[in-house]
Amino acid sequence: MTVTFQLNGEDCRFHGDPMTPLVDILRQERFLTGTKAVCREGFCGACTVHVDDEAVPSCLRPVGLVQGCAVTTIEGLSSGNQPLHPLQAAFEAADAVQCGMCFPGMVMSLSAFVRDNPHASRPEIKAAMVGNICRCTGYERIVDAVADCLDQARKAGQLVGGIHV
Amino acid sequence: MAPSVERSFTAASTLEEAMAARRQGAAVLAGGTWMMRDPLRGVDLPGAVVALHRIPALSKVDIEPDHVVIGAAVTHAVLGRALHGAAGFEGLVAAAEGAANPGIRRIATVGGNLCALDFAAADLAPALLVCEATVELETVEGPKLLGISDFLKDRHALLTEAIVTRIHVRRDLVASAHIRLPLRKAGDYPVAIVSLAVDKDKRCRIAVGSVEPVARRWTALEQAMAAGPASALDPERTAELALEHNDFQGRDGKEVEGWYRRQVLPPLVKRGVAALLKTEGLA
Repeated sequence: MTVTFQLNGEDCRFHGDPMTPLVDILRQERFLTGTKAVCREGFCGACTVHVDDEAVPSCLRPVGLVQGCAVTTIEGLSSGNQPLHPLQAAFEAADAVQCGMCFPGMVMSLSAFVRDNPHASRPEIKAAMVGNICRCTGYERIVDAVADCLDQARKAGQLVGGIHV
Repeated sequence: MAPSVERSFTAASTLEEAMAARRQGAAVLAGGTWMMRDPLRGVDLPGAVVALHRIPALSKVDIEPDHVVIGAAVTHAVLGRALHGAAGFEGLVAAAEGAANPGIRRIATVGGNLCALDFAAADLAPALLVCEATVELETVEGPKLLGISDFLKDRHALLTEAIVTRIHVRRDLVASAHIRLPLRKAGDYPVAIVSLAVDKDKRCRIAVGSVEPVARRWTALEQAMAAGPASALDPERTAELALEHNDFQGRDGKEVEGWYRRQVLPPLVKRGVAALLKTEGLA
């Protein structure tokens, strides 16, 4: 079966088993290894990507269900030649990244969250992170960075991920 | 990545197309959060699947003055948002917004939650049991309506040929609550789930999930409560009745043993009644 979808803004065509988990195509066919395959059960969040702007676990998404969808991975959030996503910049400024295994998933989950919840409280930020497990236990610093990102954007009247805050 | 497999995959755009694929042996693929883990359980993925997400009528929540119709392909996240703030649906909203984790809730569907045969910890099952929901199935003979208790009991046989299409819920609840006991904040299945509701006749309905293999109403406790004064919805007293009328056989699992699931029910009922009393309908 052939499945076509947009991957980081470009056309992507996959030939093969439509029940292949999206994460395997990203990593093994497209070499987008920022998306991590860790638990493969939807519990750890390391494989989170955006499908039609929603943060979902790519390990549980059969590619057949993304036909016609727009998929964005951590590599698509900022190309490297562009400025970082404000949340990525906030994490870097706060030195919040530790081993990096969970982090692409953290960024993908939380970038969608700050876009949709520009006035989120600290408990709401924590609730949004419950599906992203960090074994380095750096949660508080991550929460601090998200709160700072939203606070700074509010003060500057800027956009976070396309939404005025 | 697994070697290339010849697999039939139908993204049905109509119910007729879905039923045709079903008749040819295709398994129904809902959000994928259960089926995609089949290989981890040592089960092969089905050779043919039919997905329902492109059927518009199954992907919406219709809220009418006296009832709500929930499409089987509606996700937990969409259900929670759609019913948020609707009086009487506090428990169903809590179930939809508290199951699994945010990423799973964006893809796991109502139909998938009710049709995963070996999944004892489905949050929506007890929540819909206390709503006394009706399950609409598409069968080879046409549409069929079935009470959710009967559906859950008979679903092994029913789902060999039928497809769950919609859930119908009357808006006859004054208040409801949904209490779950996970071992961690997220990422594990709850040890036990207790859903409670009070209807317009002040009758209390209670259902339990995750303790036995299939969720069910706690009729012994409901009857004991009905025998007391109608105004006496008291957390402590209800917990005492729950202890006295605990007729559950806890299932053993890798998370906990069965006796523990059974033993936590009275305190969960106590929490549930306390939550009910805080709702707008009963406060």
